Amino acid sequence: MSFLTLDNVSVAFGPVGNRTEVLSNINLSVKENEFVAVIGFSGSGKSTLMNLLSGLEPPTEGKVIMDGKEVTAPGPERGLMFQNYSLLPWLSVNENVGLAVKTAFPKLSKSEVADKVHHYVKMVKLDHAGEKKPHELSGGMRQRASLARTLSLDPQVLLLDEPLSALDALTRSELQDQILNIWEKDRRTVVMITNDVDEAVLMADRIVPLTMGPRATLAEDFVVNMPHPRDRHTLNDHPEYMRLKSEITSFMMQLNKESKASAANKIVPMPDVRPKDFSLPVASPRLRNKSPQPSSAAS
Amino acid sequence: MKTDSHRPLLFINLTIGWHGYRSLSPEPSLPAMADSTKDKIKYGLLKGIDVSGFKVLDPPVRLLFGEEPQKQIRDIAKYMLLPILFVLCCILLWSVVAPNHKTRSGEVPGPSKVLTAYSDSKRFEERQKEKASDFKLEGQERLAMVKEVETELASLEAKAAELSEEAAKIEALAQEKMAARIAPIQSKLDALKAKHKAAEDARDAQLEALAGEAVAGEVSSDTLVAFIRETEAIEEKADAAEDVYEEQLEEIRSNPPSEVKDAQLAANRVADEVQHYKKRLAILTKENRNVKEAEYLAKIAEDKEQLAAASTAGDVVKEAKAIARNTERAEDVGSQTYPRTATIFWQTKRSLATVFVGFIIAAAIAIPVGIMCGLNRIFMACMTPIISIFRPVSPVVWLLIFQIIIGAFFPDPENHPLFVTLNQDKFFGWIANPIAFLGTNPAMIFSACTVAMCALWPALVNTALGVSSVDKDHMNVAKVLRLGFWSRLFKIVVPASLPLVFAGLRISLGVGWMVLIAAEALSSSDGLGKFVWDEYQNGSSQSFANIILACFVVGIIGFFLDRIMVFLQRLVSFDDGSATA
Repeated sequence: MSFLTLDNVSVAFGPVGNRTEVLSNINLSVKENEFVAVIGFSGSGKSTLMNLLSGLEPPTEGKVIMDGKEVTAPGPERGLMFQNYSLLPWLSVNENVGLAVKTAFPKLSKSEVADKVHHYVKMVKLDHAGEKKPHELSGGMRQRASLARTLSLDPQVLLLDEPLSALDALTRSELQDQILNIWEKDRRTVVMITNDVDEAVLMADRIVPLTMGPRATLAEDFVVNMPHPRDRHTLNDHPEYMRLKSEITSFMMQLNKESKASAANKIVPMPDVRPKDFSLPVASPRLRNKSPQPSSAAS
Repeated sequence: MKTDSHRPLLFINLTIGWHGYRSLSPEPSLPAMADSTKDKIKYGLLKGIDVSGFKVLDPPVRLLFGEEPQKQIRDIAKYMLLPILFVLCCILLWSVVAPNHKTRSGEVPGPSKVLTAYSDSKRFEERQKEKASDFKLEGQERLAMVKEVETELASLEAKAAELSEEAAKIEALAQEKMAARIAPIQSKLDALKAKHKAAEDARDAQLEALAGEAVAGEVSSDTLVAFIRETEAIEEKADAAEDVYEEQLEEIRSNPPSEVKDAQLAANRVADEVQHYKKRLAILTKENRNVKEAEYLAKIAEDKEQLAAASTAGDVVKEAKAIARNTERAEDVGSQTYPRTATIFWQTKRSLATVFVGFIIAAAIAIPVGIMCGLNRIFMACMTPIISIFRPVSPVVWLLIFQIIIGAFFPDPENHPLFVTLNQDKFFGWIANPIAFLGTNPAMIFSACTVAMCALWPALVNTALGVSSVDKDHMNVAKVLRLGFWSRLFKIVVPASLPLVFAGLRISLGVGWMVLIAAEALSSSDGLGKFVWDEYQNGSSQSFANIILACFVVGIIGFFLDRIMVFLQRLVSFDDGSATA
């Protein structure tokens, strides 16, 4: 049933003697055509998790399984959309998408490739800027180009690595709608990493929180019981939306607190040594002003 | 004084700029042109200026299109006029300082002498071309040219005679004047000399008397020695006094008045021209290759008649041999070209060709090896010792090594197929050979190899750096797309590293150009370096000016080569080229 599975996966970095475990005991199973959002604080290992899923990084322990086969290398069947666009700056938007189309579908003729490129560039509403180079585009347009490139691979799984985190709020909501629209029309498995609770609740079927690193792991998931398509404008009145939002937010805040508390607990308690009081007895009135203040010495 | 001299200049330019603004801004002077077309032209021009790296031209163009005239004028004053003024000051300083330093080859030439050297070189080049074309002329054209040259020669000869007469007159006049200036000094000098002579004679007599007394024991030998020393001191003084006058005389004699110099120069110039036309006439008539060929053909015809008339076997053989010999000569003459003498222009072209060949060799080695170094750390580790050891080696050492190695490949360069092919007039008998004039030879090849060897390293190191520092995200894209090795190389690695590769090539070309001039000077391979070296060996004042001229030619060409590379670098830069200078 499960289409994409992380089976007891751990990732550790560093030399053998001094390994830092970034992700530990990750278990995740994503059903076919399910939209899963992984939510976590920055620095908790979200991008490492994405690299695992895409195959860019092998797990130290455990297995990544997709469609019954173990993932060992990255490939176009798992379309990864990078956080920082990663468009090739010397190619135009069309050429960037074209490169992906040509490698994913090497048998297509030139005109078929051009048609496909046009189709995906139009899907993200970039057809007016197809001949532009990435440095001539705004951040939102770049990310849309990146989305077009990822979609053009016709991947079985879409991996979105904080795709919208570098964008301003307005562009962000516009792109959220676009991604959702595309997904509604052409459903497929999506794993999205995000740090935005609203975004996660708006888009995903299921939200999996990632606990604070190091040794981050996945916590109990939240199922979003709201039918697609969801309307951003009426959503704020939806009780389920409000409930999930507050629940997830408080859960994340709790995680943060715990992590801070555990970090605070790690501080080695100092031995209870107090400076000795060398001041003369207060009884001697003549020397009173010259005596050092014991309180300042103690602090 | 300096501020006074530059203020009017600035003012003139300001007014020109203001008029330009007035005529353009309120009522566009190009009314037929729509604003968008105008903008297109403007931004096209600005883009071109930006890409080619001539940022200085930016404000004038903007001014021309009436954009913020005040600001543009200020920018022009700051970034164009002041630099021009500074350069002018430098030239002024040069022209003031240079003539004051006397060297073995005359005084250091100032700017005007260098300019003269340039125009002389140009005339020399033109004459070479005339002679070369005269050498090839045939038929009616040749006859017409002969006539033309003859009339020109006649008028020139008349003019030359006139001028030399005039020069002689002026010289005689100057001689008279000089004699008038010399006479009083000479008489003073003669009087002084006579006086000194008399004094000397008197002291000689005294010395003799003293010597006699010394023999008689009336005075001590010390007195005698003292007297001799005194005499010597007096004579030295007298000589010094004479020298003052003699120096004055020398000064007058060695500096003939400038009108004499000018007249002589003018006469010489025309005489030179007469010589040139005489030579041309000779080339057109006697030495012309077609004339010679015709002569041989006539001889062959004659021989053939004699062959027909010959009766004995011995005569037949003799005549047949003569025919064969003359036929061969006629063929040789028919394909001859005029033996060219090296001019600075030809040397420049040759240097450019050599540096181009060397640069291509360097790029052809450096880029693939650099890419391999960048891709593979083991290969990089293997190459590092080689790069580290050979990079600091002096070009002179490479030159000598290549001279030996390349020399061994061409024991008989004149007849080596490579050079015969490269230097022939026409390929396959009908495609004109554009590089025949270069006269390719082994010296050119080993100079090119030296250039390549020295220009290799910056390109190689930069390519390796560019390839190894390709953005990790781009490599991730390649991985996700599962690009194969070659498409990863050509679609991701090479385009991403091109800006750095071209930055390296730019340094390489600069290094190569500098190395080449030194290599040519050392190896006598034709080119600017050899030109400088030959002029140095000449050692005249004129050749010193030529050396400085060559210095400017080398510098200006180096500048343009660099600009071309900057332009290419900008073209391949995908980040607007802002990262590169």
